[in-house]
Amino acid sequence: MAAISDVNPFVSAPVGDNAFARITDNVSRIAEVERPPRAWYIAFACALGILSIFLGSIGWVVWTGIGVWGTTMPAAWAFPIVNFVFWIGIGHAGTLISAILFLFRQTWRTAINRFAEAMTIFAVMCAGVFPGIHIGRPWLPYYMLPIPNQMDMWPQFRSPLEWDIFAVSTYATISIVFWYMGMIPDFATFRDRATTFWRRLCYGVVAMGWRGSSRQWHRYERAYLILAALATPLVLSVHSVVSFDFATSQLPGWHTTIFPPYFVAGAIFGGFGMVVMLAVPARQFFGLKRIIQIRHLEVMNKVLIATSLLVGYSYMMEFFVAWYSGNKYEAFTFVNRAFGQYAWSYWAMISCNVLFPQLHWFKAVRTNPIATLIIGMFINVGMWFERFVIICTSLTRDFLPSSWGYFIPTKIDFMTLGGSFGLFFTLFLLFCRYLPMVAMAEVKAFHPSAHAHEPDHPVEHTGQAPVGI
Amino acid sequence: MSSLKKRVLPTFGGAKTNEAAAPETSSARPRFWRSFGELENRPEFRALLEREFAAPPVDAPESAPERRRFLQLMGASLGLAGVGCHWSEDKILPLSRRPEDTIPGTTKQYATAMELDGVGVGLYATSYDGRPIKIDGNPRHPESLGGASAIHQASVLGVYDPDRSDKPWKRNGGTASASSWDGFAAFAGPHFAKLKSMRGYGLRVLSERSGSPTFEAVKKRFMAAFPQARWVTYEPSAGDGARAGSVLAFGKAHRAVLDATDAVVIVTLDADLFAPSFPQHLALSRQIAHRRSPDGEMNRIYSIEPDYTLVGTFADHRLGVRSEQIKAFAAALDAKVSALANPSAEIGPGQQAPKAEFLAEARVAKLLDALVKDLLTHRGRSLLVAGPSQPAEVHAIVHRLNTLLGNVGHTVRFVEDTAAESLSDVAALKTLADELARDRVDTLLVLGGNPAYTAPGDVAFGDAIGRAKTSIHLSLYDDETSQRCSWHVNAAHYLESWGDVRAWDGTVSIVQPLIAPIYDGKSAIEFVSFLLGDPAKPVDLVKDTHQLTDERAFRRAVHDGVLGGSAAPAAVPTLAASKPITFTERELGGKKLQNGQLEVTFGPCIKVYDGRFANLAWLQELPEPLTKLTWDNAALIAPKTAEELGIVDGDACTVTVGGKSVTLPALWVPGKAEGSIHLTLGYGRKAAGQVGGDAKTEVPSVGVNAYALRTSTGYHAGAGASIAHSDADLPRLSTTNDFYNIDKIGHEGQEERAPELVREANLAEYKQNPHFVETREEPHPPLLSLWVSPVSYEGHKWGMSIDLNKCMGCSACVTACQAENNIPVVGKKNVAIGREMLWLRIDRYYQGEPEDAKVTFQPIPCQQCENAPCEQVCPVGATMHSHEGLNEMVYNRCIGTRYCSNNCPYKVRRFNFFNYNLDVIGVTPYTPTEDPKMKVKSMVFNPDVTVRSRGVMEKCTYCVQRIQNAKIKAKNAKTSIPDGTIRTACQDTCPADAIVFGDLNDQSSRVAAAHAAPRSYALLEEMNNRPRTRYLGRVRNPNPELG
Repeated sequence: MAAISDVNPFVSAPVGDNAFARITDNVSRIAEVERPPRAWYIAFACALGILSIFLGSIGWVVWTGIGVWGTTMPAAWAFPIVNFVFWIGIGHAGTLISAILFLFRQTWRTAINRFAEAMTIFAVMCAGVFPGIHIGRPWLPYYMLPIPNQMDMWPQFRSPLEWDIFAVSTYATISIVFWYMGMIPDFATFRDRATTFWRRLCYGVVAMGWRGSSRQWHRYERAYLILAALATPLVLSVHSVVSFDFATSQLPGWHTTIFPPYFVAGAIFGGFGMVVMLAVPARQFFGLKRIIQIRHLEVMNKVLIATSLLVGYSYMMEFFVAWYSGNKYEAFTFVNRAFGQYAWSYWAMISCNVLFPQLHWFKAVRTNPIATLIIGMFINVGMWFERFVIICTSLTRDFLPSSWGYFIPTKIDFMTLGGSFGLFFTLFLLFCRYLPMVAMAEVKAFHPSAHAHEPDHPVEHTGQAPVGI
Repeated sequence: MSSLKKRVLPTFGGAKTNEAAAPETSSARPRFWRSFGELENRPEFRALLEREFAAPPVDAPESAPERRRFLQLMGASLGLAGVGCHWSEDKILPLSRRPEDTIPGTTKQYATAMELDGVGVGLYATSYDGRPIKIDGNPRHPESLGGASAIHQASVLGVYDPDRSDKPWKRNGGTASASSWDGFAAFAGPHFAKLKSMRGYGLRVLSERSGSPTFEAVKKRFMAAFPQARWVTYEPSAGDGARAGSVLAFGKAHRAVLDATDAVVIVTLDADLFAPSFPQHLALSRQIAHRRSPDGEMNRIYSIEPDYTLVGTFADHRLGVRSEQIKAFAAALDAKVSALANPSAEIGPGQQAPKAEFLAEARVAKLLDALVKDLLTHRGRSLLVAGPSQPAEVHAIVHRLNTLLGNVGHTVRFVEDTAAESLSDVAALKTLADELARDRVDTLLVLGGNPAYTAPGDVAFGDAIGRAKTSIHLSLYDDETSQRCSWHVNAAHYLESWGDVRAWDGTVSIVQPLIAPIYDGKSAIEFVSFLLGDPAKPVDLVKDTHQLTDERAFRRAVHDGVLGGSAAPAAVPTLAASKPITFTERELGGKKLQNGQLEVTFGPCIKVYDGRFANLAWLQELPEPLTKLTWDNAALIAPKTAEELGIVDGDACTVTVGGKSVTLPALWVPGKAEGSIHLTLGYGRKAAGQVGGDAKTEVPSVGVNAYALRTSTGYHAGAGASIAHSDADLPRLSTTNDFYNIDKIGHEGQEERAPELVREANLAEYKQNPHFVETREEPHPPLLSLWVSPVSYEGHKWGMSIDLNKCMGCSACVTACQAENNIPVVGKKNVAIGREMLWLRIDRYYQGEPEDAKVTFQPIPCQQCENAPCEQVCPVGATMHSHEGLNEMVYNRCIGTRYCSNNCPYKVRRFNFFNYNLDVIGVTPYTPTEDPKMKVKSMVFNPDVTVRSRGVMEKCTYCVQRIQNAKIKAKNAKTSIPDGTIRTACQDTCPADAIVFGDLNDQSSRVAAAHAAPRSYALLEEMNNRPRTRYLGRVRNPNPELG
C-alpha cells in the first residue's frame, strides 16, 4: 500500500535518477496531466456543492435580513464573527512559515510553504467574506473604507473595526504578493515544460519573463528577503489588531491586555493545525511523500505542542487575572465560562486545544500521519470554539443581568459556517490542479544534491547550510 | 411653435446680441464685435445664433429627437392613452387659503377622553395634519393629573388597525355577506318600526358599562320608544362587590372617591391601585408617588393580596394570601381596630375576630398588630381600599374602617352612584342567555363589548345569540360576537366620534374626535339615535345633554377636556350597623391546600384588558410589568405550591375547575399566595385580527382563553381547582428581562450585582446616611480621564433623572416611547430570542425569599453617556456625540456592525434584524405598499421620527425631536427654553412623575436638583462612562415595629 502511494499517481514512472528532475517531475506533473484522478473530481464536486450552500445562505441573508441567523441581542456578534476570527487565525500559518521561518532559516519549511501560503490566502478570503455579510446592511460595507465621496463622510478611525480593515487588507496584499513572487520561478518551469499553446501563454504571462539568470535570482532573493521582513511583523500585527476588536471594548471577558499575544499564539496554533490537516492528505493523494516527509510533520507537530502550551497558559492566565483583578464582573465572566450555560463549549475548547495536542509528546503519535490528521482536526474545532467562547459567553452575560441572553444558532448559521469551507476547498483544489503545489525551486535549493561535495569530504547535510537564499 | 423656434434668445444678453439678431439682413460689419465669427458673419456663427442654446449640452445624445418630434410623440402617446382608459378622478382641494390656526407639518394637542369600564380618563391627543398620533394625560382631568396608561398610549394604534371592521356585515347561518350602512338602514328602518309598533316586545339590548351622560339620555329615549324592551349591562372585568359593599355599609349605592394626597398609611386589600382596572389608578399613582420622597413625610403601604400586583411591588409590607382569605383578614382588622378605637354608638361594634388558621401565624399576627397601631396613630390620614373583585362584606368593612378612622372627608369621600341602576350583573347576562335559549328574544342588540367571548364558561352566551331571530352587534371589530350575530355594524373609535364620559368622581369630559371616522363607523350614541330615527348629530346630542347651548361654554369644555364643576357633590352617608360575617372553612383555613382544592382567580390583563385590546400589537409586545411576559398569558403560581405539585416553571400545565380545563404554560411568581392560581383574562381570542388571533385566516390565538374556566359563581375567584403537569407542546413563553432560564452561577452573579444596580435603603438608614447610595457602589479608582473632553457642553446639557422610589413599573412609559418613536413590533418568536425593540425597558429585580419576595423596578433608557463606549467603536461614525451631550444615531450612516451594542454596558441598543415595517413601508423606499389598509396603518407613525429600515441600530434619543422642536420654537420667539418645556414621551405619560428631564446647565432645573440629590447615582459609575441618566435610590418605609 505504502509503495503504491509513494508513487505519484499523476506520473507514469520516475524519469531518470536525477533528483532535481524528479522533484520537478513530481510537482509539475500534478498540474500537467490531462485529467486529474477521479478523486479530485469528486472532491471538487463536493467543494462546489458546499460552496453553493455558502452562496445560497448568504443570498438568503442579504435578501431577508441577518435575523435569519441566530444572532440576537445581547449576542450581537455570533457565528459570523466567530467564523471571521477563525479563518483569519487559520491564515496565520502560511505567512509565518514563509516569512518568519524563512528568516530563521528553517529550511524544512520549503516542503510545505507553498500550500501553506495558499491556505493562508484562501483562509483570508474566507475571513474577508464575513465582515461584509455580517453587517445589517450588507450592501454598504464600503462605508468603512476611506473613499472620498460627495456626502463628505469619513470612517471613524477610533473604531477597532476600522483598524481591522487596514490590518486584514494589508495582510492579504502582502500574503498574495509574497505567494505570487515565490511562484514565479516555478511558473517559469511550468511554462518551459508546457506542451500546448495556452499553457505556454498563461504560465508565460504569470512567469513574467523569468529566465533563471543569476541576476534574476539575485534580485529575486533580495526581494524575497525584504518581503519576508515586511511580512513578519504583519503575522503578529493582524491578529493583534483583530484581538483589539475585543480587547479595547468594555465587555468583561474581552477587555484584557493579554489578548494580542494570546490571539497570535492561538492563530499560529490553529494555522498549523490546518496545515497538518491539509498536508497529510496532500502528500497522500498527490504523491508528495518524498517531499513532505514524516520529519516535516513531526516538526510541525512540535510547533503545535509549543503553541498549545502557549494557548493553555493564556487560558490559565485569563482566569488568574480575572480573580486577581478583584473585578466582580470579570471574575463572573470566567467562572461563567467554565461552569455556566456555555460550559460545554468551554470544555470542548480546553480538551481540543490543550489536552489532545499533548499526545504529540509521544514520538509514535507525532510521526503518525493519521494521528497528526486527527489531532489537527481537533485543534481546528477547538480553535473555532475558542472564538465562540470568547464572543458568545462574554456577550450573553455582561453587566446587567436583565439583559442577559442565550444565543442559539439557526440552520442558516451552520450553512454559512460549513459553506465557508466550500469556498476554501474549491480554491484549494483549483490551486492543487493548476499551480505548483510545492516550491520546486526552494526545495531544490536545500536538496542534498544541491550541495554536492567531493567524495572524500562527506559532509552530513543538516539542512542548515546557508546556501542559496 | 414656429415663432418660438425662430426666436433668437439673447444668450449673451445686452444690446450687442440684439444687434446681431438679424445678421442675415445686414451685410454691414458690426462696429463692436466679440469674435471673428461675428465680425465676419461666418455661416457657423449664424448657425450658432439660430440655436436656442449657445452650445449643445455635453451629454446630449446625437440621436436625441428634436423637440418638435418629441412633442409629436408625446402628443400621440397622450392621445393614445386616452383611447383605452382614463385617469382616475381625484379631487384635490388645495388649501389655497389656510384654515385659521392650521400650520401644515406641526402638531397640535386636543383634549378628549377615553372610557374604560364606564369610567373616563381625560387625555390630550396629538394631531399631526389631521391625524392623531399620540396620546397623553390631561393634567386638568382629576383622573389623569397628566398621566396616561399603556392602554391609553396604545389606543391610538387602534384607530389605524387594519383589522378594524370597515363595513356592516350581514350573516345568515354560516354565510356572511358584506353590506353597507345603506344596506343596514334598509333593514333596520322597517325592522325597528315594527318593533316600535310592538312597543319593543322581544327586544333586548346588551351594552357595556357606560359613564356617558349622553348615552344615558339616549338610552332613556330608546327605552321610552321601546318600553317592553329590556336593557342589560355587562362588563366582564368589573366587579359588583364595591357597589354591593356600599349598599351593605350605607344602605345605598355610593362610590368611594379616593384621594391619597394626604394618606400616610395605605392598606390595600386585593386592590391594585395602579392597574387600569382600578378606576382611579392614574390619579392614585401620582398622589401616592408624591408622598414617596424620603425628605418629606413618606406614606407607608400595606398590601394584602393574592397576586403580586403593582401596588404590591410598591408596598412597604406585603402579605400574600388567597383571595378568599382577605375577608377574614379584613374582619380581624376590623375587630382589632374597633376594639382599640372605641367606636361611637352610632357606628356600632365591629366584627368578631375570626379564628382563622392563617391569622394565627406569627408573621401575620405581627403584621396585623403593627398595622392596627399604625392606622390608629394616623387617624384621618390613612386609607383602606378593597379591590373590585372582593365581595361586598370586605368593601363594607373597608367603608366602616375608613369612617371609624376618620378618613372620610380627608382621604376618601363618597358620591352617590348615579349609574347604580345600570350596573352590570353577571346574573343579568345569565338571565338574558336563558331568555335567548328559551326563544323569548326576537331582536338582540349588542352595543359594543364582546359577550360571546367574555361571558363566563357556564353562560353559553355565544351559542345563545343564534337563538334570537335578529341579532345586531355594534363593534370595532368583526369579532366573536359579531360572527354569531345576523348583523355586524362597524363602530367608530373614540378618537373618531363625539361623546362624553364621567370620571369616577363624576367630572364630565367631552370626547372630541380627532379624525373623521375612517370606515364610516358610528359610536354607540350615534347608533342608538340612528335606530330611533333621530338625525341629530352626535355633537348636538352631547351639547343637549349638558345644555351647552352657549358656543363659548362648549368650546371651553372641549378645550379644557373637563366640564367645570361637573364633579358629583360629596355625599355623607351614614354607616349602618355592621352585620356579622360568616366564614367557610376554606376562608379560615391555612396556607396549604390540596391539589383539587386550589383557588383560581381571574383578572383583566394590564395590557389587553378583557381582550378588547388583543389586536393592538404594542400591548401584546409590552412586557407585563412583573412577569415580563409578552404575547401570552400563563397560569401564575407560587413557587412553593408549584414545587409541591410538580409544576415546572415555563412548562405546560392543565388547570381544571368544575370539570372544565385549559392547558397553558405555568409561570412561577415569587410572592404569589400559596394555593392560588391566577389566570389572566383577555387572551385566546379567535376573531381578534391578525395580531391577537383569527381562526378564519388561521392566525393562532395569543394565549389561552381563561373565560372558559370562569363561572358566574366563581367569577373573580373559583375554588376547587386542580393543576397538573401537561405534556402539551406549547410554544415557549416569550419573556424579556430573564428571558432565558438562569442557572446557579447566573443567579449568584445576579445576587452579587443587584444591590449595586438598584440601590435601596430603609427610611431609617436614609435618615442616618442620606448618601447611602455611595455605600452600595463598587469600589473603584478615581474616575479620571486621560484627555480633556473635546465637548464642553456650553449650551444645553440634557440629562434625565429617574426616581426609583416613584416608579411602580406600570410600563406606560414603554408604550409611550413606542408610540412616540415609531418603534416596530417584532412578534413573539423574535421576543423569545431577545430581539424586542423597545427603547425603554423596565428591569425588574426580586429580592429575598421566593415566598416573600420584594420587587424593585428600574426603567432603563439609553444612559446618554458623556464618555460613550458606543461612539468610540462605530467604524462609520453612525453614532455621534452632540455638543449637548446626546449620543445621536445617524440611521442613514449605520451599516449595522452592532459593535456599539456589544460595547454598551447597559445593552440599551436595539437592532433591526429584519425589515419590521415591511408590510407598511414596502421593501424599499421605491416600492411602497399599495395596500390601502397598510397605508392607513402607516398613519400612526410620528412624522418627526425616522421609520428605521432593516439592518440599522436604534436606541433612545431622549426624544431628540421634542428637544429640537422646543429649540426651534425658542429660537423663533427669541427666548430661552424654560425648565419643563421639553418633556420626553416617557416623562409625559408617567403617572407617577418618576422621570425628570431637563438641562443640567440650568442650575434651577428639576433635573439638576435631582442629580445633586444625595440619593442620585449612576449605573455602573465605576466604568467612567459618565451617564447623563441617573437614578434616585429607592427608600422603603417599613414599619419600625416589623423590623
